[in-house]
Amino acid sequence: MNVKFLTKIEELLGPFSAKLRKHPNLTFVVFGLLLCLVALLPHLGLMNFGTMSIIAYITIYAVTALGLNILLGFSGLISLGTAGFVGAGALGTAVFIEMGLPFELAVVLVLTISGSIGALIGLFSLKVEGIYLAIATLFVGEILRQIYTQVPIFGGNSIQIDGGIKLLGFIELSQIFKEQRSMLFVLLVIIMVLMMIAMNNIIKSKTGRALLAMSRSEHAAQAMGISLLKYRLTAFVLATLFATVGGIMYAMYFQTIPTTSWSLDLSLFIIAMVVVGGFKSIYGTFLGAFIIHGIPNLILKDLLGDISYIFSGVLIILVIIFYPNGFVYIWVDIKKGYSKLKKRLQKDVTTDGK
Amino acid sequence: MSDLFGIIFNSLETGSVYALAALGIVLIFRTSKTTNFAQGMIGTFNAYIAAYVMLSLGWSIWIVALLALVTAFLTGIIIDTFIIRPASKVNAISKQIITLGIIMVIVGLLPKIFGVASFQLPRFIASEYSLDIFGATLFYNTIFVIVLSLTLMGGMFMFIQHTKWGLATRVTASDETTSKLMGVPTKRVTMISWATAAMLGTLAALFVAPRVSVYGNMLLTVQISAFFAGTLGGFSTFFGPVVGAYIIAFSRNFTQFYISDIWGNVMVYTLILVFLYFKPYGLFGKKPTKKV
Repeated sequence: MNVKFLTKIEELLGPFSAKLRKHPNLTFVVFGLLLCLVALLPHLGLMNFGTMSIIAYITIYAVTALGLNILLGFSGLISLGTAGFVGAGALGTAVFIEMGLPFELAVVLVLTISGSIGALIGLFSLKVEGIYLAIATLFVGEILRQIYTQVPIFGGNSIQIDGGIKLLGFIELSQIFKEQRSMLFVLLVIIMVLMMIAMNNIIKSKTGRALLAMSRSEHAAQAMGISLLKYRLTAFVLATLFATVGGIMYAMYFQTIPTTSWSLDLSLFIIAMVVVGGFKSIYGTFLGAFIIHGIPNLILKDLLGDISYIFSGVLIILVIIFYPNGFVYIWVDIKKGYSKLKKRLQKDVTTDGK
Repeated sequence: MSDLFGIIFNSLETGSVYALAALGIVLIFRTSKTTNFAQGMIGTFNAYIAAYVMLSLGWSIWIVALLALVTAFLTGIIIDTFIIRPASKVNAISKQIITLGIIMVIVGLLPKIFGVASFQLPRFIASEYSLDIFGATLFYNTIFVIVLSLTLMGGMFMFIQHTKWGLATRVTASDETTSKLMGVPTKRVTMISWATAAMLGTLAALFVAPRVSVYGNMLLTVQISAFFAGTLGGFSTFFGPVVGAYIIAFSRNFTQFYISDIWGNVMVYTLILVFLYFKPYGLFGKKPTKKV
């Protein structure tokens, strides 16, 4: 390998990467299109449907974790009640559909309900801070969990959407048929890409800058005319909405929703995705979801059997110790290493020339 | 009348268990600045050791309990040395997720070491020894749990308030950098705090074990209640969470019995949330002064 080779590759990729840098939203679309290919693989016999479900899980977690990243990464707030809102999205959609409402109306209703709970928590967060706020959100999560398992409307152990999801009143998609399952997967990827674009626009806007300012110093932010009330509410409402969308995606794809799995464990896993993947990074969040859910289920389980759980625990600890801001920042190290390599090669060339 | 006394005894016992767990969580929160989600799991792990040794060697509960406390001490030291200390520069949220990593490692280890079956641990004092107070049975074991917990916690408070080591713990809790400059061995303080917290968690696990048997999630409720106790009592004192633990145990048992079995918890939680809105730092907590 020599320096000419490297510069040639750079020249080749140059226009492409410049274009992508100009339109960051385009990269999400490209990423989504690539991911959509996964939906084809099981039909070609290259992958089984179980693997597709794991990737579907990753997209669901990625959306949920994106919302949490607004809190953790951008606002410096923490929520331990995320799982409750994912449950609200999943169970709420199912209950409303079972009541006979059309899918779209169910989604709007669910989003409104959990959005307003999010707003309440936002108001609460003006008074309570730090670990007290974290545990206050845990209270909310526990209350929601209690409601899901105790209120008979949620069907006891699990609730099933009979006959699948009806989009726009006529496109019926059921988990039972393989083709429709792939369609549902594509739908999930589309939603994820839309949420990524939305997130990107939020953090690049005035709101994003205000949240960042608040996370550094509330007093300084207030002195610059940033309303704590407004942006705290925004942060919590956005986070709960993202989590709820994650839940709705769950309901769409799996169509059988358990009532017992929306507990503290899940909230912690979603926090882990943000922490391990990358604070303040959209791709990092996806990477985190992949590391926490994908790697153990896709790779380690076959490779290591039942010690995969230990391994992922160790992985979390190691990543946090070596990349405290998230694994996605390994990219910075790679870039640094690359420019170092290039410099050394260039030096070799000049010394050779003499 | 018998119901009333039954609930009181029961609440005192569960309150003691919550208090032990909460004290461990506060100790680590103050000295390591992290919320230790693994507190329950560390206790569970050592309870497994006790139950396993008891089953295979047939030792009495008292000896295996002592053994479990020793292993708990070691677990705490190992966790602090190999995981927490290398991560001391990591931000607060990431540190909490490290404790999630610890949970995952222990959850993975449990079936590897002890197999998948759950274990039984007996009471410290067998259940045939009991008193009858106004129709309610009071096991000697319950008295033992309450008295031992209260004595231990009282002893710890005395220790923290009146000894040199306690002073070192308090100053590390309030400002680690300055204490280090003043020659306080903060590393050792943190290490012993982890060891003590692990022992407290294990004790909680040993007290709970006869009721629920020894299995992976045996301390889940205790752990969550301990967090709630810490919030209710305030994390800035060591005795606040203990008071909070008893309040939670009492209010939960009473609402569950007298108002609604299902909605008791929800009501208590909602009340605490409302309370927190008006006193954001708990019952005894003080607002930390912040410099801009």
